[in-house]
Amino acid sequence: MSQVNRIKGGQIDRSQTWDFTFNSKKMQGHPGDTLASALVANGQKLVGRSFKYHRPRGIFSAGSEEPNALVQLRKGAHCEPNTRATVAELFDGLSATSQNHRGSLDYDLMAVTDFMSPFLSAGFYYKTFMWPRKFWEKIYEPIIRSSAGLGRLSMEEDPDTYDKGFLHCDLLVIGAGPAGLSAALSAARSGARVILADEDFTPGGRLNGETFELGNMSGSDWAALTVAELSAMDNVRVMTRTTIYGAYDHGTYGALERVTDHLATSGDQPRQILWRIYSKRAVLAAGATERPIAFGNNDRPGVMMAGAVRTYVNRFGATPGQQVGVFTNNDDGWRTAADLAAKGVNVIAIIDSRDAPAVCDVPGARHIRNAAVMDTAGRKGLKSVTLTDGQVIPVDCLAVSGGWNPNVHLTCHQRGRPEWRDDLSAFVPGGDLPVGMAVAGAANGSMTLAAALAEGHAQAAAQLKDIGIKAAKADVPQAEDEPRECAAFWHVKDSTKRAWVDLQNDVTVKDVKLANTEGFRSVELLKRYTTMGMATDQGKTSNIAGLAILAEAAGKTIPEVGTTIFRPPYTPIPMGALGGRARGKDFRPYRLTPSHKWAEENGATFVEVGNWLRSQWFARPGEKGWRDSVDREVEMTRGSVGICDVTTLGKIDVQGKDAAAFLNKVYANGFAKLDVGKVRYGIMLREDGICYDDGTTARMSENHFVMTTTTANAVLVFRRMEFARQCLWPNMDVHLISTTDGWAQFAVAGPNARNLLRKVVDEAHDMSNEAFPFMACGEVTVCGGMPARLFRISFSGELAYEIAVPARYGNSMMSVLMQAGAEYDAVPYGTEALGVMRIEKGHAAGNELNGQTTAHNLGMGRMVSQKKECIGNVLSQRPEMQREDAIKLVGFKPVDPSETLIAGSHFINKGAEANTANDQGWMTSVAYSPTLGHSIGLGFIKSGDTRKGEIVRAVSPLHGVEMEVEIVSAHFIDPEGERLRA
Amino acid sequence: MIINHPILGPRDAAEFVCLGDACMMDRPDWQADDALDQFVEYGYLRDNPAGEHQELWYHEQGDRSWLVLTRNTLTHEISKVELARDVARARGRDK
Amino acid sequence: MPEFTLTSAPPLAGINKAYGDMHLSAPHDVAIVSISLPLGGEDAALSAVKSAYGVAMPAVGKTATSKSGETLMRLSTDLAFVVFTRATPDAEPVVAGKMKGKAYTTDQTDVWCALQLEGPGAMRALERICPLDLMGFAIGDVARTAMEHLGTIIMRTDTNGWRLLSASSSAGSFLHAVETSIKNVS
Repeated sequence: MSQVNRIKGGQIDRSQTWDFTFNSKKMQGHPGDTLASALVANGQKLVGRSFKYHRPRGIFSAGSEEPNALVQLRKGAHCEPNTRATVAELFDGLSATSQNHRGSLDYDLMAVTDFMSPFLSAGFYYKTFMWPRKFWEKIYEPIIRSSAGLGRLSMEEDPDTYDKGFLHCDLLVIGAGPAGLSAALSAARSGARVILADEDFTPGGRLNGETFELGNMSGSDWAALTVAELSAMDNVRVMTRTTIYGAYDHGTYGALERVTDHLATSGDQPRQILWRIYSKRAVLAAGATERPIAFGNNDRPGVMMAGAVRTYVNRFGATPGQQVGVFTNNDDGWRTAADLAAKGVNVIAIIDSRDAPAVCDVPGARHIRNAAVMDTAGRKGLKSVTLTDGQVIPVDCLAVSGGWNPNVHLTCHQRGRPEWRDDLSAFVPGGDLPVGMAVAGAANGSMTLAAALAEGHAQAAAQLKDIGIKAAKADVPQAEDEPRECAAFWHVKDSTKRAWVDLQNDVTVKDVKLANTEGFRSVELLKRYTTMGMATDQGKTSNIAGLAILAEAAGKTIPEVGTTIFRPPYTPIPMGALGGRARGKDFRPYRLTPSHKWAEENGATFVEVGNWLRSQWFARPGEKGWRDSVDREVEMTRGSVGICDVTTLGKIDVQGKDAAAFLNKVYANGFAKLDVGKVRYGIMLREDGICYDDGTTARMSENHFVMTTTTANAVLVFRRMEFARQCLWPNMDVHLISTTDGWAQFAVAGPNARNLLRKVVDEAHDMSNEAFPFMACGEVTVCGGMPARLFRISFSGELAYEIAVPARYGNSMMSVLMQAGAEYDAVPYGTEALGVMRIEKGHAAGNELNGQTTAHNLGMGRMVSQKKECIGNVLSQRPEMQREDAIKLVGFKPVDPSETLIAGSHFINKGAEANTANDQGWMTSVAYSPTLGHSIGLGFIKSGDTRKGEIVRAVSPLHGVEMEVEIVSAHFIDPEGERLRA
Repeated sequence: MIINHPILGPRDAAEFVCLGDACMMDRPDWQADDALDQFVEYGYLRDNPAGEHQELWYHEQGDRSWLVLTRNTLTHEISKVELARDVARARGRDK
Repeated sequence: MPEFTLTSAPPLAGINKAYGDMHLSAPHDVAIVSISLPLGGEDAALSAVKSAYGVAMPAVGKTATSKSGETLMRLSTDLAFVVFTRATPDAEPVVAGKMKGKAYTTDQTDVWCALQLEGPGAMRALERICPLDLMGFAIGDVARTAMEHLGTIIMRTDTNGWRLLSASSSAGSFLHAVETSIKNVS
C-alpha cells in the first residue's frame, strides 16, 4: 500500500497524485512534496548506504543540511548523483535511485566493510597505504578509487544548459523565514530595491514546519500573504529556489537559482542560473540548523532530527513513524512531541537529558527525566531504543534534538570568526562580518519567533538608514516567545557501541577522541584527519558535536578549542552552473577576419590564433597534405604574387601634438624624426630590457601615426601605451584609439605585387618605386574613390605592400584583389606560408619574442637608443644583458639536407655531452623552405653572430633525435634586401 | 570586488586589470648619475604591506583610465580611488 | 569607370528578428567617428562640438542628440563618439570638417557592429550578460563594459530600447550572446 505514513494536514496539494519511483519501486506523492517527504509518506526508511562502512541510512533532516539521504535523480544523461532528497522537489514521473552499494540497497555486498571497522578508524588510509611504495599506483589507488565516492556520473555530456546573470539591489535579504520576511517587508515598503532569496520552493522557513500563530493566522499563511505582497511590488524581487552560496567582497553575493530542477524537463530553458548580486547592504536571515546528540548506533534509519520530524508532519502531512520517541536536551524537542500528538501520531516517550519537569503536556507519552538513549536496534530500520538505565522502548522513529546552531556560514566567508554563546551552547556570528552585512533572527542567536520578527525589522531599518533610506514603520505581528531552554549535551558517554558524529563521512565519537590522542588537536587538523565536516553537507549537523567531543577529550572548553570557519559555497553547486554558457564552441568569443567568407568559399583551413580564426592554408584539389598547399603558396608568392589577410595585427591610431615624442619614448628606436609618408619598424621593450613586441608605425601626417602591433600583443601594447600616457608622461598631448577591426588589411607580396595593385589603386596615385619606395605609406583611393591606406612594407622579403580598406569592404576587396591578380596567377596564402616566408627572410616573431630575449639577443641591440628617454633602455645596459657571449639569433640548416629540423632542439657543441651545463641555445622556429629545398631554422645560440659556418649538434631528447646543423645567417633569402626594394 | 570609479561610479573589478604597486608611476630620471641603480629598484623592488597599499588598476573594459586605488590588503577595503593622471601630475610628472 | 568595385558587407547586416515581446535588429548605415579632446585645447574642442552639432558635449556616461540626429556619446574625459547615419565610407572627413582642426578624429565605423534591442523584456534579457545596474540607467545614459568577455558599449535609447555596440570582428559571438539572453528569458 502506498503512502502508509500520510496523515492529515500539510501544505501539499492532495487533489493531484503523482507517480514516482525509488529504485524502480512505484510510489506516489503530491505537489508540494519533496522526494524525502514522499519517501516518508510511502514508509521508505532505508534510502542509502553510508560513505565508508556502507551502513544502512535513512532520511535524517528536512533541509539542505542532509548528510544521509543522497540519491541519484533522473535517468540517462540527465542523471545527477549526490542530490539531497530533502531538497529535491517531487514531480510527476521522477525516478530516483539510491547510491553507494553493490548489489541491492537492502543487501549491499560492500556492507562487509562495516565488520572491518575496527581497522578503518580515523587516519586509516594515511597509516595503511604508505608501503610498499610501489603498490600505490597499481594496487592501492585503483582499489581506493573504485570504493570511493558516493554517486556515479552518467559519463555522458550534460544535456542541460545553464546561464549566469547580474542583479543589483539596495538590500539583499538572505532567507525568507520570519526574520527575512520581516526585514524584506520593512525594506520593501520603504521603497528600497530589495532582493529576497530563499533556497526553498515555498518561502517561510520554519514557519512552514511549525504550528506557530502569527497575529490571528497560522505562520505559514502569514508567510504566504507576506510573499504575495512583496511579489506584487516593482521594487522587490522574490527569488525562491535560490541559494545565496557565497558572500564576496564589497557586498557582492553569489546565488544559484534552480529554474527547472522541479520540472520533468527543462524545455529549452537553462536549468540553473548563477547570479552575481551586487548589494549595497544585506541582511542574513539564514535561520538555524538543529544538531544531533551522538549515542550508540544513532545512525539507524528512523533516527531523525526532531525539528525535521515536525516538518514532515506539519508541512508535508507525512509521519516518519507510527510509534515515535523523542530524545532531547532542550525545550524545543517537546514541540515535536506536542505537534505529533496533536496530529494523532503515537508518541511513546519523551527522553529528556535534563532533570526537569515536563515542558508541556503530551497525551499518551511517558516523560523520562535525566535519561539518555545509549543504543538502538533494528537491521534496516529502527525497532527499539535502549536507555542508559537499561530499559528498552519499542519505537520506529526517534526524534532527536540537541539544540539549534545559528547558520553563521556566510558571516565567515571573509574570515569572520563566530563567537561562542554559553546561554545557547552555540556559536553565533562574531563582530567581523562581511562589509555591509547584518544578521537577524535565529542566524544571529535570536531563537524565538517574536525575537526573529523584531530583529528582522530592526536590522533592515538600520541597514537602510546607512544608505540614506528611511525604513517603513514596523508592522510585526503578534507572536510567541516560545520556551527555548537548552542544556549542553553532546554525546552519551555510557554508549559502548559506535556513536556517529558525522553521518556523511562516517566519523564516530571514538574517531574524534583518537585524533586528539594522536595529536591532531587543532580543529583544522581534526577536520582533515577524520574528514569530519567535509563533503556535500560540510558538517552542518556534525561540526559542533565534534568540537565539543574534542574539547572534552582535550580538557578544554569549546571556545578554547575554537571552530573551523566556512568557505563558499554554502551548498553544492553543479559544475555546469559554474561554467554557464562557456561550453563547446561558445567557450570563448571568436573573431573573424574581414575576408573570412571568401576564405571559406575558397577552401581555407582555419587555425585559432588567440580568439581569431585565420586562414592557415588554401588546399587545392589533388594536394595530398598541408605541406603541398603551403609549399605551393610560398612558391607562387615568391614566383609572382600572393595575398594574405593580415587584419589581425593590432592597429592603434596615435594622434596629438606630442604623438611623435610619445612614440619616441615607447619604442626603443627613434621615431621623433620619422618623415610624414614613411613607415618605420620599431621594437618595444619592457622596462627590464626584454623585447616584448615589434611592428611598424606609419606617419600619416605631422600629428597622426598609425601603429601596428603583433596579433597576440595588441591589447597589451595598448594598455602599456595608456599607462605611459596617463601615469608616466601625463602632460603629453597624445590620444590612442584602436582601429584593429576597422580596416581590412591585406599583404600583397611578390614580384608582381605592384602590377596587381596598380590595377586596383586609383590612377591618380603614383606607385612607381621612386614615388612610393620601400617603407613609404599614404592615404590612397581604390576602385574608384574608396578610401584606403597603402604601406610598402614586407614580412616575406618580397616586393610587398599592405593595403587597407574599411573593414566592411574587406571581403569584397579580397575578391577584387584575386580578380585583378588573375593574370599574374595570384595566390591566397595562409599563416603557414606567411610563417615559412618570414623564417626564410629571418624575421623574428612570437617564438623569438618569447619574453626572455633582448634586442641584443635578437641582433638589434644597436637599435636601442641611449640618446633619448625610452622604456627599457636604461636596464638594457646592465652588463649581464650586454655580454659578448650572449645568445644571438641566427639561422641553422641541417648538414644533411634530407634531415628535418625540430623546433625546441637544444644546441650542443660537437663532442660535448648533451646536458644542461653544455647547453648553447635552442632552435626557435623551423620550416621546410620550398625556396631552398631543405629544412631551415632560426634559433638562439651563444655568440651566434661570430660563429657562422660552425657545425653544432641540435639535440631533442624529447624526440630522441639529434643531428648536425650549420650556423648560417638568419636571412636565408635575399640578404641584401634587393627584392623588397625593387 | 567593486571599484568606485571617480567618474563612472561603482564598477565590478572584472572590468579592470591590476598592475600592482603605484610606485610604478615613479619612473626615475634616465639621466641621473645613478640611473641604473634607481631603475633596478624601480623595476624589481616592491613593498608588500599588510594594510594600506596604493595600487594601479586599468579600466580596460570601461573608459581606459588608469586609477590609483588605496586598498587595504588585509580587509580589501578600498578607501580611495583617484585618476592616475591626476596623481601623476600631483607627483610632479610632466612630459 | 574603374575596373573593379567594392561592395559593403557589414557583419550583422540584415538581422531583424522578433522574440515574444522583444525585437532585435542591426541598424543600417551606422557611422561612428571618435573625437579626442586635445590636451590644453579642451575648451576650443568643446565649443567646436557645440557649434557643429548645436548641443553641448554631454558629461561622461551621458549622450546628447542633435536636431539632425547625430548622437554624441561621451565615453571618457577626453573621448567621445559621434554616431550618425551615413552609408558612404567618409564619415571621418565629415566630422573632421565640422571640428575644424580643434579635435582629433578617427573613423570607428567598421570597428564596431551595432544591435538595437527593443521590448519590455529587454532589461531582463540584458541582465544575463550585462554587469551594470540597468535599472539605474536613465534614457540617454551610455557606458562601456564587458558582456560575455566582449567589450561592449551600451546606451539606453528609450524605456525599453537599448543600443549595443561591440567589436565587429567578434560580431558572431556578440550576436550569439545577445540572442541566447533573449531566448533564455522568453
